[in-house]
Amino acid sequence: MQPSDSVPRITTPKSAGLPTLEVHNIVRNFGGLVAVNNVSFGVHKDEIFGLIGPNGAGKTTLFNIITGLTMPSSGRLVYDGRDYTGEKPHQIAQKGIARTFQNIRLFGNLTALENVMIARHTHTHSNLITGVFGLPPGPAEERRTREKSMELLDLIGLADRAQMQARNFAYGDQRRLEIARALALEPSLLLLDEPAAGMNTNEKAGLSDFIRGVRSDFQLTVLLIEHHVPLVMGLCDRIAVLHFGDLIALGQPTAVQNDPAVIEAYLGDE
Amino acid sequence: MQAFIQVYGFLLVTMVLQATLALSLYLPLMAGQLSLASPGFYAIGGYVAALLSTRVFPVERGLYPVPPFLFELFVAALLCGIVAVIVGFTALRLRGIFLALATIAVVEIIRVSAVAFQDFTGGQIGISAIPDPIGSQFGYILVAAPLLLFAMFFTYRLERTRVGRAFTALREDELAAAAIGINPMAYKVLAFTLGAMLAGVTGVISAHLLSTWNPSLGTFDGSILILAYVLVGGSRTFLGPVVGGMLLTALPEGLRALAGVNGLPEWLSQLLKDSRLILFGVLIALGAAFFPQGLITPDLFRRREPAPLNNPPTPVAK
Repeated sequence: MQPSDSVPRITTPKSAGLPTLEVHNIVRNFGGLVAVNNVSFGVHKDEIFGLIGPNGAGKTTLFNIITGLTMPSSGRLVYDGRDYTGEKPHQIAQKGIARTFQNIRLFGNLTALENVMIARHTHTHSNLITGVFGLPPGPAEERRTREKSMELLDLIGLADRAQMQARNFAYGDQRRLEIARALALEPSLLLLDEPAAGMNTNEKAGLSDFIRGVRSDFQLTVLLIEHHVPLVMGLCDRIAVLHFGDLIALGQPTAVQNDPAVIEAYLGDE
Repeated sequence: MQAFIQVYGFLLVTMVLQATLALSLYLPLMAGQLSLASPGFYAIGGYVAALLSTRVFPVERGLYPVPPFLFELFVAALLCGIVAVIVGFTALRLRGIFLALATIAVVEIIRVSAVAFQDFTGGQIGISAIPDPIGSQFGYILVAAPLLLFAMFFTYRLERTRVGRAFTALREDELAAAAIGINPMAYKVLAFTLGAMLAGVTGVISAHLLSTWNPSLGTFDGSILILAYVLVGGSRTFLGPVVGGMLLTALPEGLRALAGVNGLPEWLSQLLKDSRLILFGVLIALGAAFFPQGLITPDLFRRREPAPLNNPPTPVAK
């Protein structure tokens, strides 16, 4: 367990694991609105790091900045010791940073299996010629892609419905399918944008164990946005709290929960 | 049979060539890019054939030899590929209707250039007396049909492999595709270039078939016609454009034949004969109304499991 950082600064205690993702002084303006204001933190290897905050706090904007969908107005992003600020989303995905979306973005017309197989893109190499004409490594690779994808569907319990169109799945299943698609990248950092949103109570209860299982099975670091407070408190090793673009608290769940600034942000000051 | 080929040989070859052009529009569409540039690359291919066969490898009499014909196909594919990569990296930054407009502009630029560089292209009159490598119009089926079959095989296989899946991902959701490591620009340009090369090769065959080439063979009208092939046939499987291209190419001739049937009232026969382009337009409109996904849809083929009863389908979350 990491020692708690009670002040929002980029601290990496010598005793803790090295930060795998470092966010340095990130600012993002939309016109006159400051969506993310000088936010810095580091996510340590193998931890589950939660990002919480009221609506409009800038959480999803920060996610989009980390995955390259939105450019920061200023600030730096470092992953595994290398500065990747300004790189394109597909380059960032190739580094092993995978994500899910708040408003699920599956390939709705395709089957569950196809959704996962497409995400093996960065780990396969067949090109136009070898693919179309079935030359090595095409066919063998195609078989492995299919096997690997079925394994992932098996993991989330959708293997029996591999040929069903993604749009026909229940909401919770779509969320898990999107996680399976992200896992197909074999990421070292997994970003989950509100994984429990729209899930029923049963599904929510299973989600914590599922995310922990994924973390240990795939040896990855998890950064998640979540509104469901009990889930975050029980699941995350550390939590960062955003409020109107500012990072107002960072530390272990219990410390954050009792932080006056956090209580004020959530309950208001009147 | 002999008589049939005598009458319809040219039509059959044209149907195959138009189906191939329809596939050249379908290829970029696989990656979600609506490009109407096919007639431009078709025109480039035609000029490559016309110039090489009349200026570089002229024949005095008899059939045009096969090796330079194959060389023309190669040059057209290469040249169209290079132009497509250059055009693609700029035009494919645009989306949807803006891309369609930009690609129409490409067609127009190529057409106007062909008119302007008279010394080279023969201006409005074009280039005539393009030699014939085959000897009969129906004989072109020996080149056109293998090209179409190859293009169909290529597209069919492509959809089931890594590169084709990347195209599909871009068509479905570009942002999600990028987030799983697919380089959107690279794959869009690849899809666009494949379509351009196919259109260019088709142009080479057409030039020899028609034995003449001029700027009116690659125009905006052609863009719309090819788009109609894909829309009527269906834009979700590679068979749709092929069927659409063949049907719509045969349709005016079918209407003309229908007008000749004995016993039709004079006015109806006149309408079928003289107004076949109007009827053609009406049929396209009706097709769009009653077969909005085209005649051939993936549902006709896909073995898809129905949603289990204990798991009622929910609308896709968007």
